[in-house]
Amino acid sequence: MSRPRQESTAAAPAPPGERSNRRLFGLLPWGLLALALMLVFSQVRRPELLVEVWVPWIEVGILAFVMTAIILTGGIDLSVGSMVALTGMVQAILWQDWGWPIEAAAGGALLAGALAGGLNGLLVVAGLSPLVATLATMALYRGLAITVAGGDRIVGFPQSFLDLGRLLGVPSQFWLAGLVFLGMVLLVHHTRFGRWCYAVGDNRQAARFAAVPVNKVDGVLYTINGLVAASVAILGAMRHDASIPDAHIGTELQVIACVVVGGTLITGGRGSVPRSLLGLAVISHLDVGLQFLSSRLSWLTAESRLIVIGILLILVAVWNQKSQKES
Amino acid sequence: MNVNDNRPILQVVNVRRTFPGVVALGGVSLDLHPGEVHALVGENGAGKSTLIKIICGALAPDSGELFFQGREVRWPTPVAARAQGMVTVHQEVELFPTLSVAENMALAAGLPMQRTGLVDWNRVHRQARETVRQIGETIDVRQPASRLSVAHRQMIQVAAAILQNARVVVLDEPTSALSGEEARWLFQQIARLKADGAGILYISHRQEEIFRLADRITVLRDGLKVWTRSRQSVGPEETIEAMVGRPASTLEAAPSIRASAPIAREAPLRFQVSGFTDGGGRFRQLDLEAGSGEIVGIYGLVGAGRSEFARAVFGLRPAEGLVRIDGNQCEIGRPREALNAGIAYVPEDRLSQGLCLGLPVRSNAVLSTLRRWTRGLLASRTREQQATRQVAGRLEVRYRSTEQPVQQLSGGNQQKVVLGRWLLAQPRVLILDEPTRGVDVGAKAEIHRHLRHLAREGCAILLISSELPEVMEHSDRVVVFREGEIAGEFDPGQAGPARIAAAALPRQGSEEAYAGRLRSSASRFQGRSFNELALLLCVAGLGLWLTVSTEGFSLLNLLTHASLWAILGLAAASVIVGRGIDISIGSMVALSATSTAMVLKLPYSPELLIPVAILAGLLAGTAAGALNAVLSLLGGLHPIVVTLGTLTIYRGLVIAMLGGKPMTGLPPEFGRLAIDPATGFRGAVAVAALVVLLVYLWMAHTRSGRHVYALGSAPRAAELLGLSRARLWPVTFGLGGLLAGLAGVLQLSMGQQMQARLGAGWELSAIAVAVIGGVGITGGRGTVLGVVLGALLLRLVNSALVRWGISDQQTDLVVGSLILAALLLDLAWRGWKR
Repeated sequence: MSRPRQESTAAAPAPPGERSNRRLFGLLPWGLLALALMLVFSQVRRPELLVEVWVPWIEVGILAFVMTAIILTGGIDLSVGSMVALTGMVQAILWQDWGWPIEAAAGGALLAGALAGGLNGLLVVAGLSPLVATLATMALYRGLAITVAGGDRIVGFPQSFLDLGRLLGVPSQFWLAGLVFLGMVLLVHHTRFGRWCYAVGDNRQAARFAAVPVNKVDGVLYTINGLVAASVAILGAMRHDASIPDAHIGTELQVIACVVVGGTLITGGRGSVPRSLLGLAVISHLDVGLQFLSSRLSWLTAESRLIVIGILLILVAVWNQKSQKES
Repeated sequence: MNVNDNRPILQVVNVRRTFPGVVALGGVSLDLHPGEVHALVGENGAGKSTLIKIICGALAPDSGELFFQGREVRWPTPVAARAQGMVTVHQEVELFPTLSVAENMALAAGLPMQRTGLVDWNRVHRQARETVRQIGETIDVRQPASRLSVAHRQMIQVAAAILQNARVVVLDEPTSALSGEEARWLFQQIARLKADGAGILYISHRQEEIFRLADRITVLRDGLKVWTRSRQSVGPEETIEAMVGRPASTLEAAPSIRASAPIAREAPLRFQVSGFTDGGGRFRQLDLEAGSGEIVGIYGLVGAGRSEFARAVFGLRPAEGLVRIDGNQCEIGRPREALNAGIAYVPEDRLSQGLCLGLPVRSNAVLSTLRRWTRGLLASRTREQQATRQVAGRLEVRYRSTEQPVQQLSGGNQQKVVLGRWLLAQPRVLILDEPTRGVDVGAKAEIHRHLRHLAREGCAILLISSELPEVMEHSDRVVVFREGEIAGEFDPGQAGPARIAAAALPRQGSEEAYAGRLRSSASRFQGRSFNELALLLCVAGLGLWLTVSTEGFSLLNLLTHASLWAILGLAAASVIVGRGIDISIGSMVALSATSTAMVLKLPYSPELLIPVAILAGLLAGTAAGALNAVLSLLGGLHPIVVTLGTLTIYRGLVIAMLGGKPMTGLPPEFGRLAIDPATGFRGAVAVAALVVLLVYLWMAHTRSGRHVYALGSAPRAAELLGLSRARLWPVTFGLGGLLAGLAGVLQLSMGQQMQARLGAGWELSAIAVAVIGGVGITGGRGTVLGVVLGALLLRLVNSALVRWGISDQQTDLVVGSLILAALLLDLAWRGWKR
């Protein structure tokens, strides 16, 4: 998204005030990020811990990369946290109760994810508002996750499976994040499908009138979301040696927050996947940095962290809105 | 019949209005006398609708004055104008589709109130029935307005104007959807209004009507007045000449850019439809063909089925019949199949159907041909830019950069971008629907030139237009649509405009059938309270079964639990009905409960503290809710984003106030408020009952409550009534916060302790209760009774699960299934009605 902006400013000299605003806009999230980074690194005494602290945020990030594409089309998926929990439970049940080998069980989890996401897509294509449809499936999938194992967590996966939790000394979540990030960047910014996503999000009717297969776009995106949620669940099981039915409650809001802070419009048509990476970086660094700081500063407790992040979210959203109106 | 000598009742003096890039009105003056019918005629784009909007108060003029009954006026809103006796019946009546017919009629004039401050529904319905009686038709005024046919909408407006004793009535194309019988009724009403001394401004394309009704005629062209003359002094010929801008005789012989050589009929047949019939009944049994290199003009009045025909050919509407391209039969069910078959369609409404306004010129231009610019799987911006530049150069689009948002271009250039998109697709058949509407003269000529050029390259072109000169000058053959059928084919070189225009006019006999067809979309079915009824049956059945079959089942316990959820459901509903959404409800519950708990911990006597504490909790909730609305309005943010942020902030405040520890040891007197174990009195149920009653009164019986529904139902139409989000959202969000706060206080009283996670995730359950209760997430739909029943149903199903021996852990499962069931039922129900 940065290239078009440069080009248009070059072609048409904007009034000086507008120009400096635009430059400021570019700087704001980066400035916040730098501040947050300073916070983090000034507090680290045992850097090896840092990686571990980050894993939950990386999981949020993986989901945020896919969510970006969904929000770009003007949709939303609230059921993503529930899908992670459900697919995790499916894998565990297939392995423990059905006696499947763990690899096959993981495949089953992916299939379950695709089905769950596909159902979301189907409901949206049928004409339900994505917000309500996925609100319903959010509760539904969570309920299923709790029901299939009677509400208990399932533990004791084979060691060979758990060993995959770290690859080359780094938690596998990082590798998955890289993969999903690259995949979504390619899909959203470098394929025909991605171009369709923007058109659908900007004006769904005009997209339909331009022969864009709108239903296909919806169906594919929600299904991908289910698949990725299942991957997060599988890696989560490796890491914790457990599938937990009430895992990832509230994750959907963190995911959406990353996308919004990155500057993707909640109403669709505008934004990008790298922006969500930036959003993730800002939120997670602040959260982690404030966590580290809280051991020093007595007033900086869990609650003030929440307040800071909430205020930040609104401020950045307002900033994005204003700067986009100007450009 | 004569124009009265007395002062004009309405005077428009030198009114100017420009839109970006277009002068819509360049200083027009007009006057209207009491008892006069003044006809306003002109082609599309002549400025008629802008003038009407200024007269009725929907649009402010840039300069010029408006005098009504001798006084200069500036209408703040159309409601204000209407209150003074200035009634406008628009061609496309803006309605609140989810509100009843009667309420729609009353809202425009302001809802009548009783002395108690509540809406006088008896009067609303009585007036509505009286109005409907004027029409002599049986219409249930309680049914949703979306079920009304276009004809009925217009007739009701006219009838309402008469009953209101209007001084000025503006009628914009009032007969376009009326049958012969209905039109005769209208003419009677006009005569009646005249006799009462009202002035009527009458806009119509139909010459016969104008010359039958009008006392004077004013012609507009290109935003300027050509002349105003009395009917006796002009004839139809002169009027057409004035509208078109050149003598009718020269119009026929005008040198045009028609094909230099007459198109040989033996030119290969490109496009052919036969027996083409619309799935929605808007056209039937059409046979049409176009040869390679031929431009076929399609002329007809609005509503003749031209656009529907084009959309059906392009796969956007279901239709039956054969489509052949170059002799090969094509199956077209989706736009993509049409595109692959070589059909392109430039839609009627550039802004809503043609362009993605926020996206760059490039994205818009290459949107339909992306496959051609991708290499392997990867799209190439460079190749897309090349393609854009090439086609933009060919069409002489004036733009700065391929990455410039298309909304920055002028109307004509935007239209060229849409045209360019389809040129890139190299179509064999190009259908253009009103391609030059709202386009300036220069761009218009260029577009016409390109069409001819395309035709020379072998494309078959169907040019749909309501402008007769455009069709006559630029097509090789003119096909006239009338009421969904082809009324005739003409050679524009031989047939005069009068003959072609006459062919487009509805015939007396068939009109009735046509209007009847339009009306058939209005179902007589009454499904208004279907939702409540179904819920009530479920609740009653399940409740009865549980009471009979379960030992120790306490209805009172059930009600106590349901109370909390009913209140939360109403909190969500009050916001959603006004087209907002608040996902910080759970945090607001906690915030209120914490505020209450903190006051209760103060070292004073409980009798003194309890009222203060409750007040503090309610205030905290209301303030939090109102803050959500204010932030959303000031920041221009979607309420989801704002409440996502405040959800975190309020929760943080809660933890800070608690200091990380749960708060216990509240005074026992406070606990007895919700449930008193000694007497068995359930304060929670009593409070909930009171709240339900109050919210019901507000939402269903007060002016502001109904305005919230109007805003949620149709924000644009609400704006015309002067209702804005800025005024109503602080109220609805504030109410939502107040109710969430009340739920927090109740929960604190029942639970007797405050811990940091209280209410986490309740926002989604609250929305769930509202949705199960039939509240439409897109606003304007839902009732208090429905929400209460939704809460009851949810609790009952939970109890039933326990009865069946399934643990109540599965609340989520039940909630999810119930929402889905409610949504799908609603969807099926609406689909079935349609």
